[in-house]
Amino acid sequence: MELITRVTSVDPTLRDATLARLRADRRARSRRTVLTVSVLVAALVALLVASVLLGGVGRVEPADVLPAAFGMRTGLADYMIFRIRVPRALAALLSGALFGLAGALYQRLVRNPLATPDIVGISAGAGAGATTVLLLAPALPLGAPLAAVTGSLVLLAAVYALSLRGGLNTYRLVLVGIGLSGVCTAYTNYLFSVADQHSIAVAMRWLIGSVNGVDWTGVTTLAVGLLLCVLCAARLGRPLSSMSLGDGLATGLGTSVPAARVAVLALGAGAAALATSVVGPIGFVSLISGPIAARLVGADRAFGVAPFVGAALVLGADVLAQNAPLISPVPTGVLTALLGAPYFVWLILRRRPGATS
Amino acid sequence: MFDTSPPATSPPPPARTRSSRGTALVLIACTVVACAVVASVALGARDISPPEVVRILLHPHGTGYDSHVLWTERIPRTLLGLTVGAALGASGLMMQALTMNPLADPGVLGIEQGAAMFVVLGILFLGVTGVTGYFWLALAGAAFTATLVYLIGTRTNVGSSTLGLVLAGVALAAVMSSLITLLVVRDEAVYAHLRFWSMGQLTGRAKVLDEILPFAIAGLLLALPFGRTLNVLSMGEEAARGLGIRVERSQLLGAAVAVLLCAAATAAVGPVAFVGLVAAHCARMLTGADHRWSLPLSMACGAILLIGADIAGRLVLDHGEIQVGVMTAVVGTPFFVWLARRRNLVRV
Repeated sequence: MELITRVTSVDPTLRDATLARLRADRRARSRRTVLTVSVLVAALVALLVASVLLGGVGRVEPADVLPAAFGMRTGLADYMIFRIRVPRALAALLSGALFGLAGALYQRLVRNPLATPDIVGISAGAGAGATTVLLLAPALPLGAPLAAVTGSLVLLAAVYALSLRGGLNTYRLVLVGIGLSGVCTAYTNYLFSVADQHSIAVAMRWLIGSVNGVDWTGVTTLAVGLLLCVLCAARLGRPLSSMSLGDGLATGLGTSVPAARVAVLALGAGAAALATSVVGPIGFVSLISGPIAARLVGADRAFGVAPFVGAALVLGADVLAQNAPLISPVPTGVLTALLGAPYFVWLILRRRPGATS
Repeated sequence: MFDTSPPATSPPPPARTRSSRGTALVLIACTVVACAVVASVALGARDISPPEVVRILLHPHGTGYDSHVLWTERIPRTLLGLTVGAALGASGLMMQALTMNPLADPGVLGIEQGAAMFVVLGILFLGVTGVTGYFWLALAGAAFTATLVYLIGTRTNVGSSTLGLVLAGVALAAVMSSLITLLVVRDEAVYAHLRFWSMGQLTGRAKVLDEILPFAIAGLLLALPFGRTLNVLSMGEEAARGLGIRVERSQLLGAAVAVLLCAAATAAVGPVAFVGLVAAHCARMLTGADHRWSLPLSMACGAILLIGADIAGRLVLDHGEIQVGVMTAVVGTPFFVWLARRRNLVRV
């Protein structure tokens, strides 16, 4: 406050110079954001092309690839490209964006990089819900996405209620989440041990997370989900940025803090749940997208960039999971965990209080 | 939630009362363990009437299907549950006392996953078969993971070392289980076998018992006299040094025994989380902070918990059963959450 008075009371030339410098700084950061997003989009396109062209086993004539990708060929090319590789690549892209969005929402709200849907156990809850419906009532239309969203919201409510004790403590939230995700994983494990017909691919998807075998229905679910979540997130952007000033100031700026907080928590859980309902609980993506985005463009703009980072992470991990020598093919979730867990360790070793978004 | 943990500042009762109380508690615990063992032998998917059970037990070499079920399945399984439960209970208590962390547990800290990863490596690349081989691999893996978790967990900057250790454990458990998946995912048969093993269960492991028993008993015997040292160590390093304890050596020895017990348990039945955590806290609630009594009691509690969870897993479903690892997670998680909610546990 004192600083502002001093700035306004000094001579106009100095004030103009300061304002000009601030504007230039802001422009530079905008340019940097635009540049980062363009680079990320270019990388995503390259990864999509690589995923469709390389895509595991089976050879397709190069001339057939492009037409087949748009569904204009029949036979083997159509099957390989249009039914398997394109949905797989798109599912990786969209689910990564959803995970990144969910993580960035939570990190922005809680102001702690550890409180993301995968650490707090919301992905595990969604996985448990989706698995229940898929194994016990597979004929239900839209059953898996709805059950996943329900499961994630139930788990979110449980974690929130259990960690609320004299105010919300992030570390208690994380501990309670770790505990509850243990129960969900045990339950999913148990469901697989009683369900008779299951293949490795199905079990892998629900225990570790994998984009293997996603069809166009899954891609549609993800695309509609991403669209809805981005629209809601755009509406919540203003309340979120005013809440980053602190609850008191946010209330003063006209934000209904409790309502906005519940909305952000539910939206993040929903985004993570929709992604989980199609590709399973791919771990650590929502955790690391936000901090990576914050490193690239700064903490206050990380929120918009995190979905791109998440998409690039899952798609890149999937290209690796299909094609890397020695290890391929493995479920996508294995690679994201192997990349993400060391980063997580680095985060808890290096984090100074309040250093990251 | 109410706080039922014993207040730390209560004046110590006279020594004789305490030791007689401890004796009584250990006797009661032994009785409960005996009851659990009897129930585990008598109950199961196949109804065998109690007189029939007694008759079969008196005639070890009888023929007939009931006799076969009892001698080759239920009795070894019960003994295995007893051994593994006691080992996990002791391991959990020692880890909590050494790290002064109420959330320490071989499963929560990822040490069991590390042991399992090394066993898988050994099976795939060294051609190890047999539980003795598993045990040495599990020991190496558990020691490696425990060191890593300790090094990371005590250097974190998340506000509380309690949380730091748990987070380091979660991260390492994720890495280890991903590595297991990476190693086994291409072989359907190996995968199916390991997936059931990786859940932790007592079914069909009768042959394991003979091979793992020496290691587990050695670990338990090594752990028992450790109560005194743990008592002194819990007074703080300075005080312990003043009382003539070589602190680093005792801590290292204690950690080695805890890791050995955890490795024996994991090699026998696969990772079973939360048993050590729950057993240690139950024991400490019953006896207070004196480790001379809480250590044997924690073994008893661990055995009761594991056998109880196994019996429940057998009886809950009409056909088939729930793996003991799933049951202990269901029992242990509310406990973990309750501990996490205690105000004095998690500092901001």
